[in-house]
Amino acid sequence: MVIADDDDFDPHLLEEDDFVEEVQSFEFWFGAVEGYLVDRPYGRSPDTPDPELDDTRRDRLITTLCNYCVGETAALEGASGLVRLAPNHHAKVFMATQVVDEARHLEVFLRRLTDLGVVDTATEIQKRANPALLDFKSSLLELVDAGEWDAAVFAQNVILESMEFTVFRSHAENADPVTAEVLQGVISDERRHFGFGENDLGRRMADDPSRRPRLQEVKEQLDRIVLSVFEGALDDLDVPVADRPRLGQEYLETVERLGLT
Amino acid sequence: MSDARDAVAKNRHTYELEETGFNEVPKKWRKFYRYWEGVGDVLAPNEVVCPVCKVVIRSKRELRPGDKVYCMPCMSRMVVVKAADGSLEAEVIF
Amino acid sequence: MADFLSQYSIQRWLEMCPQGYLEDTVYGRGADESEAEDLLGNETMLDAAITATVQLVVGERCALAASSGLVNAAPDYPSKRFLATQTLDEARHVEIFTQRLYDLGVKKDKLEDEISDRANPHLVKFAEVLLEKVEAGDFIAGVVGQNIVLEGMAFSVFEMMEAGNRQLNPKFAHTLRGTIADERRHVGFGENRIGSLIQEHPEKKPEIERMQEEMTYHMLATFALAFSESPDEAIQSNGDSPEAEWHGTNLATATPEEMEAVLAETVLGEFKTRLGRIGLEYQSPKSPV
Repeated sequence: MVIADDDDFDPHLLEEDDFVEEVQSFEFWFGAVEGYLVDRPYGRSPDTPDPELDDTRRDRLITTLCNYCVGETAALEGASGLVRLAPNHHAKVFMATQVVDEARHLEVFLRRLTDLGVVDTATEIQKRANPALLDFKSSLLELVDAGEWDAAVFAQNVILESMEFTVFRSHAENADPVTAEVLQGVISDERRHFGFGENDLGRRMADDPSRRPRLQEVKEQLDRIVLSVFEGALDDLDVPVADRPRLGQEYLETVERLGLT
Repeated sequence: MSDARDAVAKNRHTYELEETGFNEVPKKWRKFYRYWEGVGDVLAPNEVVCPVCKVVIRSKRELRPGDKVYCMPCMSRMVVVKAADGSLEAEVIF
Repeated sequence: MADFLSQYSIQRWLEMCPQGYLEDTVYGRGADESEAEDLLGNETMLDAAITATVQLVVGERCALAASSGLVNAAPDYPSKRFLATQTLDEARHVEIFTQRLYDLGVKKDKLEDEISDRANPHLVKFAEVLLEKVEAGDFIAGVVGQNIVLEGMAFSVFEMMEAGNRQLNPKFAHTLRGTIADERRHVGFGENRIGSLIQEHPEKKPEIERMQEEMTYHMLATFALAFSESPDEAIQSNGDSPEAEWHGTNLATATPEEMEAVLAETVLGEFKTRLGRIGLEYQSPKSPV
């Protein structure tokens, strides 16, 4: 594909195959992250103010970040396992970009925990991890180990990533400046991840509707765990109960678009 | 090419796009997207919101129902449709 | 261990690669660089270049599968994070060498056919030996196979090809320089991380040495077949240039046998040195190829 870079250039006129090849490529990822990660070591600008947090707020943030680390570890292990299962080479390359995104997220959250004074991050994460999130991680990795591409992409790129996208955006609105900036970089990555999941599965189910019942089954199995994880995360962030249905709306819209309600 | 010329031929308004600060795609594609500012943000006739990732997709021509657009930040392909209130919205196609 | 692994963070990788030597590149080369006209206009040379590039794609696909599979098998998070960057490096290599096949005229709808028709069967076997260890979740054997044996071989092959293409095909040489820079990290990680693990698990040595022996056999067979069928494109694409000198051999004038010999000696010499540093003894393949 040769993409012209002149006045007539318009991405909306690409053929669908060329579009998919472009957005799932390393080159696209490379140009995308350059936009929002350059000059932000560990996801933050060195000039961003980092006021000291009071003990309660700091402790709450540590719990939240520990659980983000659990989620990102699940995503890292899930995405790396999915490289091998990807049905074509474009999807393999995309999944490889996701592997490094997830590793970066884990790294920036660990760095933030260290900034907050946590010395032994591994022990702290183990101590504060939401059991429902650990259950979700096990379920996801079982699907990956079983070689189920559709089901694992659904669990990881649709459920987990939608949940993270919603929680991170909600958190970024009220977080301290450094955490908010770190989260913004992560949110920019998540757009690619859940977009890939929804579009890949959407296309595969459009090609072969017999794939749908298995995804409905996985959704039903995971719904209860997802709800607990979501509630736990929103509790940690002190999100008012009245606001929670609105935050869950995006996930519900996604499964509706995929015909999985 | 001629999509811009076609647009003129079909009496569509065309737009010169400039970057608006959206930085989540490679540079050459950035002017085709902008961040949605939430309530109070008014869409121009060449813009539509991606229902998947809530980024504003921009076109060089005025959009009409049936037009295909791509959201590169989340990799979605969409068709423009007319909503019940008469505004334009995008529907994901797989 | 923690201090050494801190050198392999995602942040450092971002600074070194996307914001370092890959900045302003497109598919690993300069935006205005293209394949040499002499190559594109010569059917025999073009065919040899396509075959050589297919082997690079096959090797990199194996490396992508292996490095992604090793993320889950890694015993600590710093290693997982490093292998995540390696996964993306390998995916990039798959992409840039695939792009080179397109630049050489391979049609997209014929890509997989070209790859399966031209893939060296010994290279495929070499990959299978490694992927068997990765699929079994054997981290130590997997990293030795991937980051010492496979990457060690790739490092030498890429260096030789880069030297051979520097003058007459600067575009391809540029692409190769980026991959060589990546491989440096990969072999460095392999040696540094695995050395301590081998010390902790000496009982793994015999099994790993058997794997190395088998992989070496297939590697030498790969070189032998490649040079008997069609000499490497590096030989054909260069004039008599001092820049084409590599490990005492002038790539512009060397015979296929001399090329095979210098490559095998270089790679094997590297293996012996690297394996010795991590506490393993190089095993010569039982059946000479």
